[in-house]
Amino acid sequence: MTATVESTVSAPRRGTGRPAAGLAPALAGTVTVGLGGAAGLLGVLGISGHGGGVRLGWLLPLAGVDFAVSATAGLFMLLVGLVAVAAGVYSIGYFRTSGASTITLAVAPVFTAAMLGVLAAGSVVTLLVCWEMMALASLVGVLSDHHRPAALDAGRWYAGMTQLGFVAILVGLVVLSASGGSGDMVLLGRHAGRLTPTARNAVFALTALGFGSKAGLVPLHVWLPRAHPEAPGPVSALMSAAMVAVGIYGLVRVDVQILGPGPRWWAVAVLGFGALSAVYGVLQASVSTDLKRLLAYSTTENMGVVAVGVGAGMLLIDYHRPGAAAVAIAAALVHTVAHAVFKALLFLSAGAAVAATGIRDLDRLGGLAVRMPATTILFAVGALGASGLPLGAGFVSEWLLLQALIHTEPGSGTLLAVVMPVAVGVVALSTGLGVAAMVKAFGVGFLARPRSPEAAEAREASPSMVAGMSFAAAACGVAAVAPVVLSAALDKVLGETPGVGLSAAPSLGVVLRLPGLAGSVSPAVLAAAVVSVTLAVVVLAGRAGARRRPAAVTAPLWTCGAGPLSERMEYTATSFAQPLQQVFDVVLRPEVDVEVSHAGGSEYLVERVRFRSRVDDTVELRLYRPILAAVSRWAGWVRRAHPGSVHLYIGYGAIGVTVVLVVAR
Amino acid sequence: MAGLTGRIRRLGRIAEPAPPAPGPLQDASEVGRGSLQLRHVDAGSCNGCEVEISGCFSPVYDAERYGARLVASPRHADGVLVSGVVTRNMASALVDAVNAVPAPRVVIAVGDCACDGGVFSEAYGVVGPAGAVIGVDVAVPGCPPEPAQIIDALRKLTRR
Repeated sequence: MTATVESTVSAPRRGTGRPAAGLAPALAGTVTVGLGGAAGLLGVLGISGHGGGVRLGWLLPLAGVDFAVSATAGLFMLLVGLVAVAAGVYSIGYFRTSGASTITLAVAPVFTAAMLGVLAAGSVVTLLVCWEMMALASLVGVLSDHHRPAALDAGRWYAGMTQLGFVAILVGLVVLSASGGSGDMVLLGRHAGRLTPTARNAVFALTALGFGSKAGLVPLHVWLPRAHPEAPGPVSALMSAAMVAVGIYGLVRVDVQILGPGPRWWAVAVLGFGALSAVYGVLQASVSTDLKRLLAYSTTENMGVVAVGVGAGMLLIDYHRPGAAAVAIAAALVHTVAHAVFKALLFLSAGAAVAATGIRDLDRLGGLAVRMPATTILFAVGALGASGLPLGAGFVSEWLLLQALIHTEPGSGTLLAVVMPVAVGVVALSTGLGVAAMVKAFGVGFLARPRSPEAAEAREASPSMVAGMSFAAAACGVAAVAPVVLSAALDKVLGETPGVGLSAAPSLGVVLRLPGLAGSVSPAVLAAAVVSVTLAVVVLAGRAGARRRPAAVTAPLWTCGAGPLSERMEYTATSFAQPLQQVFDVVLRPEVDVEVSHAGGSEYLVERVRFRSRVDDTVELRLYRPILAAVSRWAGWVRRAHPGSVHLYIGYGAIGVTVVLVVAR
Repeated sequence: MAGLTGRIRRLGRIAEPAPPAPGPLQDASEVGRGSLQLRHVDAGSCNGCEVEISGCFSPVYDAERYGARLVASPRHADGVLVSGVVTRNMASALVDAVNAVPAPRVVIAVGDCACDGGVFSEAYGVVGPAGAVIGVDVAVPGCPPEPAQIIDALRKLTRR
């Protein structure tokens, strides 16, 4: 996120192993699309209650592999399927033009299959095995361009964080299945009551940590803004749209459905970390100058909003408000789906722009609207969705969430009365700043004039890439105006959630109605009104203007006498974000460096002014760096014990044997 | 606030009474009728005319009551008010500014220098009067012209 240092991606991409040629990208893409289609089918089966159980005892020694798709899993499979189809179609053209090794090509299908495995898992062991496959496949994706130091660094962070998260989930789920007396997810849901309160709290803390880190919640998000931008376009779309949703699935399935309803602090913890993620993520996104890093931080923000919904739902369940709880959890689920489609679209179109220019730095992009019109329009559709405005994919869920949060009756308890208004403020702030971040990404990155020769010579994405993005854009459109398609799935998922009033489930028809809460809105009618009014104005103004309009004259651009405008005069991402950076500098702690060199020894004559601005991740600097430094200090101490002397090692052996003999005497 | 209101009331109206309206120009176009927005360009003046122009828009002469107004950009203007002899450095800037005014437009030359070169006509670095670079519609002679003369010309255009 440095304003002056360029982040150029070397194109063509150098990957692991030898470059694949010919039909390989098409094959990999088709397999991914096929997996996506199958996931959609399985998801529908799961939602309709035919997710049944399949046991493959021979596949894994001792435990076997169990698959059973619950309705919740079905909804998330549908989501992963949507993203996989879009990314699969897109990847055909993407890898054909930018070149990729066979290993990189294999990442997308394997990764998709692993994610589907996690969702379809019917037992704890299957879930853990698939979870690890998912982590490893995505790690290979992050490292597909491992010749660059930034990618290597991202890979190390990602590997460390994802394995720590896996350990937390592993221990948590093992404790859960040991205490619950079964490894079966459905049985565990019935037997979770057998756990002692301590075990329940421990399992919740461990699994929430693990799933939260996969969803990119602050302060476990540090891997996300590094890893997501480094992966190739389709893989980063799968990671940022689908994999974080798998983290949310874990949170909902294990912590809300199997373990819940739990003590009050669970809900407050989920809501609190969600609120922190939403605000911190959107602040970092709004000052980010790297296009894909901006989108990655926006993912943290959106997952934070989802966690706010889940946490609010848990809290409302605890306060016996089944109606509002249903709305809050439904809002979280709808937002997860909406985020998946618009973030897939954003990452795919950003990947197209990066592939065409080799540049991720917004300060050096621009002018793509002329050279890449289709990509620009599709990015705009995604950005509208991410802004949470009407006609955008994120509108319905944000509206539902706000409805659940603001309808807290007075006298419901002190905690609820304090937490809910704060949550409303968090959602409002993150939505507002999210609009600024998306305006910056779209306006600076795609409009105006190109700021670099690479951007000036960009070529439009290939037809299959445009087709993949258009599929995601169509899904955005459906999510924006016809959320009714999710209605049936939501009913089933809420039915699987203990403590939620099924009768109070929001109905997402043409008009969104919330039984038990006052408030309704109709996104479809809203969209129809906006479109028809716009059309009417255009037609009427065109007709009225045509009668009186004089002949057009070509006149020179008025530049206040300053000579021709150049791209150096445009707003850059850095300058656009400067006011926000100024306002929030307590949180962001930007490093600004102005260096003035004087000419001829006179303090009045300036030869050159050099401005450098850099915003680092405060959480990483303040929290992780000290921990890493402590670990490496400790490792240094341990290292002294093995200096390479064979005699010393034999001595260790002797001491060890003596200790064992004394202890086991 | 009360002090300000009181001061306004005590001071009263200081604008000079409006003289009778002059007739329209012979070949008057409809530009600026009722309302005339002008961009002022100093093409190389000694600043004498500028002092008189600023006097026109002062509370005493108050040209705005006749519908004439100075604006900040030629894109907002109906015409250009040129003062001073056109110097080489300002020639292309003047042409650009006039071209930036949407047609139909009016060009008013204020002062002898803008009308025929005046005392600077023989100087080096001078291209000539405003008429040498752009077409002039209305000329206000004088070195410098008095505010009353400038306002008289403006009122011929606004017809108020």
